[in-house]
Amino acid sequence: MDRKSQGRSAPRGLILFGLFFKIGAFTFGGSWSIISQLQQEFVENRRWLAQEELMDIVSVGRSLPGIMVVNISVLFGYRMMGAVGAVLCAAGLTLPSMIVLTAVTLFYNFIRGNPYVERAMAGVRAAVAPIIIAAAVKLRRASLPDLVSAILAGAALALCLFTRVNNILIILLGVAAGLIFRGGERHAVS
Amino acid sequence: MLYLKLFLSFAKIGFCSFGGLSMIPLVNTEMTANGWLTAGQVSDIVAIAEMTPGSLGVNCATFAGIQAGGLPGSVVAVLGVLTPSLTLCLAAAAFLAKLKGSPWLERMMRGIRPVCFGMILSSIVSLGASNYLVGGAVDLWTILIGIAVLILLLRFRWSVPAVIGLSAALGVLLVR
Repeated sequence: MDRKSQGRSAPRGLILFGLFFKIGAFTFGGSWSIISQLQQEFVENRRWLAQEELMDIVSVGRSLPGIMVVNISVLFGYRMMGAVGAVLCAAGLTLPSMIVLTAVTLFYNFIRGNPYVERAMAGVRAAVAPIIIAAAVKLRRASLPDLVSAILAGAALALCLFTRVNNILIILLGVAAGLIFRGGERHAVS
Repeated sequence: MLYLKLFLSFAKIGFCSFGGLSMIPLVNTEMTANGWLTAGQVSDIVAIAEMTPGSLGVNCATFAGIQAGGLPGSVVAVLGVLTPSLTLCLAAAAFLAKLKGSPWLERMMRGIRPVCFGMILSSIVSLGASNYLVGGAVDLWTILIGIAVLILLLRFRWSVPAVIGLSAALGVLLVR
């Protein structure tokens, strides 16, 4: 027992950093997979956190600007070890993808210009718009619950396509519209 | 000066992003306006980010940072895109109990979500416009690849890395 309580905070920080490094290295794309990993590791195995606390962290992390998974890591790290924990978790999560992407980017620059690579990239670029369309189809129900939100989305689309209005301004208009229009209160974040 | 511009640009992208793809439109305008990436390269990094671990934001910042300013550029760009999480979100962490289930946050998000949705739709148009032109002319094969990928994703539930692999192979075979 004594050994366990001695210097407990240092290993805990190391564990946080190491686990988030692992999550960062093996999590592809979506934020749902990181949430289920956090639940397994910290709620079920280590019991450092209650399930409801994790859900609170996720719902607040989703509602703030920034990269959602980093937001969730920062809120989680803060809950575990204060600001130090927040930075450790964010750094652990971010470093693996920085390392991988640095290697990929250098490789990309190295092979660019090769005619076969150019043709392969032309094929890949053709896939990007459909990938975004497929993602939008999945987002549609959560993003457009009612007529007002559909009109807002249409207005944002038109502003982006036909004017040079700044994206920040468009988001602020969305904030204003969200605060002005009531109704649809039943769409609580689960 | 370049580093400051990179940092501010990616901080802006971070503050305008609410989950995943919603950052693509601003990444596209910021990168092309500053001449750091072409629209084609923005598509490349979206595809690369889908095939590598980690979030789109960090992956984009690393890629664009290196292209614009080498390794220091990538560190600066990543710090930029992490700024909202390390400032606003860290401050929010202290008030988590008050913020959870706050009607104000929920109402703001009800406005932000559809607006981000509209912005994502616009990026389909702006990225699509450059991706189906090869050497200045509309390329029929890339359009057919695009249609095939859309059907595979929506109808047959292929994974994104699988369709990217397939379209790379088709590109080598078909695109002139």
